[in-house]
Amino acid sequence: MAKEKTLIEMIDISKSYDGEVVLDEFNLNIKENEFITLLGPSGCGKTTTLRILGGFTKPDTGKVLFQGEDITDMPANKRPLNTVFQKYALFPHMNIADNIAFGLKISGKSQEYINDKIKYALKLVNLSGYEKRSVTSLSGGQQQRIAIARAIVNEPRVLLLDEPLGALDLKLRQEMQYELRRLKNELGITFLYVTHDQEEALTMSDKVVVMNQGYIQQMGTPEQIYNEPENAFVADFIGDSNIVDGTMVEDYVVKINGYKFPCIDSGFGKNKPVDVVIRPEDIEIGKPGQGIIDGVVTSNVFIGVHYEMCIEAGGIEWLAQNTRSFAVGQQVSIGVAPENIQIMNKPQSEDEEAISLEDVLGDESEGTPEEL
Amino acid sequence: MKTNSSGLNKLIKVLYLALIVFFLYLPIGTLMVLSFNSSKSMGSWQGFSLRWYKEMFSNAELMEALGNTLTIALWASIIATVIGVMACIAMNAMTDRKRSFFMGVNNIPLLNADIVTGISIMMSFLLFGISLNYGTVLFAHITFCIPYVILSVMPKFRQLENHTYEAALDLGASPLYAFFKVVLPDIMPGIVSGFLLSFTMSVDDFVITHFTRGAGINTLSTLIYSQLKIGVRPTMFALSTVIFVVVLLILVISNFVRGDEEEEAKKAAASGKEYVYKGGMSTKRTLAIILCVVVAMAVAVRFTPSTPGEVGDKGVVYVYNFGDYIDPELVDAFQEETGYTVVCDYFDTNEEMYPVIKNNTADYDVICASDYMIDKLIKEDLLMELEFGQIPNIQYLSQNIRDFMEEFDPGMYYSAPHTWGTYGIIYNSALVDEEDFGDEVSWGILWDEKYAGKIIMPNSIREGDMVAAKLLGYSMNTTDEGEMREITDKLIEQKPLVYSYANDNARDLMIGENAYMAVITSGDVLYAQEDNEDLAYVVPVEGTEVWTDCWAVPKSCRNYDGAMAWINFMYSYDAAVANFEYLTYAIPNTQLDDYVYEDYIEGEMELQDIGIVNPPEEILARCETLKNLGPEGDDMYSKYWKEFKSK
Repeated sequence: MAKEKTLIEMIDISKSYDGEVVLDEFNLNIKENEFITLLGPSGCGKTTTLRILGGFTKPDTGKVLFQGEDITDMPANKRPLNTVFQKYALFPHMNIADNIAFGLKISGKSQEYINDKIKYALKLVNLSGYEKRSVTSLSGGQQQRIAIARAIVNEPRVLLLDEPLGALDLKLRQEMQYELRRLKNELGITFLYVTHDQEEALTMSDKVVVMNQGYIQQMGTPEQIYNEPENAFVADFIGDSNIVDGTMVEDYVVKINGYKFPCIDSGFGKNKPVDVVIRPEDIEIGKPGQGIIDGVVTSNVFIGVHYEMCIEAGGIEWLAQNTRSFAVGQQVSIGVAPENIQIMNKPQSEDEEAISLEDVLGDESEGTPEEL
Repeated sequence: MKTNSSGLNKLIKVLYLALIVFFLYLPIGTLMVLSFNSSKSMGSWQGFSLRWYKEMFSNAELMEALGNTLTIALWASIIATVIGVMACIAMNAMTDRKRSFFMGVNNIPLLNADIVTGISIMMSFLLFGISLNYGTVLFAHITFCIPYVILSVMPKFRQLENHTYEAALDLGASPLYAFFKVVLPDIMPGIVSGFLLSFTMSVDDFVITHFTRGAGINTLSTLIYSQLKIGVRPTMFALSTVIFVVVLLILVISNFVRGDEEEEAKKAAASGKEYVYKGGMSTKRTLAIILCVVVAMAVAVRFTPSTPGEVGDKGVVYVYNFGDYIDPELVDAFQEETGYTVVCDYFDTNEEMYPVIKNNTADYDVICASDYMIDKLIKEDLLMELEFGQIPNIQYLSQNIRDFMEEFDPGMYYSAPHTWGTYGIIYNSALVDEEDFGDEVSWGILWDEKYAGKIIMPNSIREGDMVAAKLLGYSMNTTDEGEMREITDKLIEQKPLVYSYANDNARDLMIGENAYMAVITSGDVLYAQEDNEDLAYVVPVEGTEVWTDCWAVPKSCRNYDGAMAWINFMYSYDAAVANFEYLTYAIPNTQLDDYVYEDYIEGEMELQDIGIVNPPEEILARCETLKNLGPEGDDMYSKYWKEFKSK
């Protein structure tokens, strides 16, 4: 992907409500034509970030630049961005066409132009012919698509989406994810997407920003975020993980509860306590004695693609996923390929859990972030 | 079996529903039927007639009260709605804690008793030296309507959580545009219900209006209340019917309009025609609302009260009278004859009028009050002496009434009688034994076991005690505990025989033949006879109470000459005749002695020969007037009355 121009810069943004800090010296760059996702648990500050961008909330300190121009004090209705709200926020007393025409009418477009745009937008969201329907007669997914149509007819430079699929059921959500991707490609505008659903973030984004407690925890492509979480929070938040205490005995060897595991990490020093992350699908289950630790299966649930099992081994309960089923009570052994073991430093304080500005700016275009 | 039980089930359900509807609508149904009754009585049906509707529309006072009611309700609810919605906007932007505090503050007035609200508003007006008038009523109504608006609009704001306002801003709308285009339609149901709630609360209100209205400002509720003295006239039934039908029509129409709109939307959706955007056209509903407002405004303008606008040459005379206690046409006649402009105001009981005069909450030039109240007002120095030089017509005042006046206004300095009468027994001559009602009838007839369950006694302390006191040969103004004991025992003894203790509706119960005899004031007899020719009246030999209602001038009077002219006018022949014909109460005016009255029973008679109106001297000799006994006397009377009532 060619390196593109920076569209939006958020610089040193801080915001607190009633003394509770929501964003603390937050920095983010958004590039043109990028699908960027803010991911984090509720209360992590992602919605506040979006609201500051949309102009609904004023930051306590810091600046928002749009193409280099300071828009921190610009009212919401003057900003070249449009938002798709969490609960759609369609105007219930207007029909679909009136909803879509709302922004166009304000900007004083001609009748003909408006009619064309409505038709075009409805076609884009696969809802042609719905002009005169009332909002309440639509399903959640249809309402969501109307909300998107209403935003995009104004041809914004950036579309802000605040958990737009949160209220939909699983199947619809997956459909809409593809739909959004397609739209993004067709329209060629920047999407800033907010969600707490890690799967959604990984599926759709060019870039994922994992946030917690007002700080950015990690920023990178979906693959980087998933495969190389930089700390326990990211590892825990992105997918299921076994996160266990370990000691880096020496380079390429980590000891967990007295058992040594070969790994590919180095440079931690000797006998350094670390966090070890192992994805459940990376745990290899074999006959007793074959793996590194012997154990016993304590539970087994079939969840569709594979079986999810708990294995008690070496004093730790491991979560493992496998297409083969092992019965509860069966004696097994577990092992992990060295490249599937992710070693992370233990956080010394809360501040260290966050990535400093320099790291983020330095890392984002290179791909593989270094361990802290 | 199964069908049987489900059939029964259904029947029970239908019956239950019918019962509910029946109980809900029976009262209003009764009223509607009575409004078409050609008789004045509530007790008997005497044929279909539109008489009361005609009378209603020609009754300027009623129409003015209706106009006041509607304009006050309309303006109060409009202004309260605007203020309330603005308050909601502000409260919506507050933090949760602050908002719940303000909601609490808002809710307290709702829980406050009306009487507390009314009195406190009145006191505030007086404290700040604002004289009570139309504006004060309107202000009070706005005040008590605001909480209702906030209460119905606020939840709508809380439901707006789906960020439609921000969505509108996001799409480029200015805050004002976003509010009117997006927020307002969303909270509209709350605003409409707040408005309607305010409107009904305002129309319904009696207590607060009562305390904050100025001289001459009446709404329907205060007017109806003031008329209780002589009984509610059927014109009120007619008016209530009209109001009910209008409200029903509005409800039906608004439902119809809404149904229509939904239908159309469904049709459009079904036909799936190519839709062409036509710009921001508003729907039929907005149209309907606008229409309603316009109609209401038209009504308001049509009935805008024509009060002090056309002040005559000589200024305004404020008259404070019992409701419906003069022929209403006399007001115009007086204005034409004298050049004064009259503003009439009404009360129901002396006790209601007293604090108004005492506290000077409104300035009246001439009032009407009963004998014992005149006595009290004189003793408290609240009345001005009358200058009889300006009331030449006082020469026509009947002599016999002058004697009674010695008891409450010795020397007749402060008052001039308007009406008078006696208490006696009204009986149905067709139902009682003739020999029981010969020449001399005793109050004892009311203790006759033969008539058990057919006797009506007064439901007021002094009149009830009077009957027993007279029978026992005591004064009706006795303050002797021993006598009081006997009087009370006598009344208790009578209790099993009594059909009902009634004041105002005794007359109607007699017309409807629910009872054979009742204690009643002479003024009501001619009225009752119109509807039931078998009724007759007798004053018992032991004597009775004579009452007098008099004109007087309070110290607050600002148009003394006008007050004198008013009293003088009331003694003119024309006024005396008009009042007699309107009220059928005895008017103490010698000019009426040879007035020929078309009696329903006896045919044409000269008024002086009708014993009901003009009791003979020997009866009057045995009569007393009600005296003001002071607080101690009142306490004793009510103590014994309570004992009697609780037995």
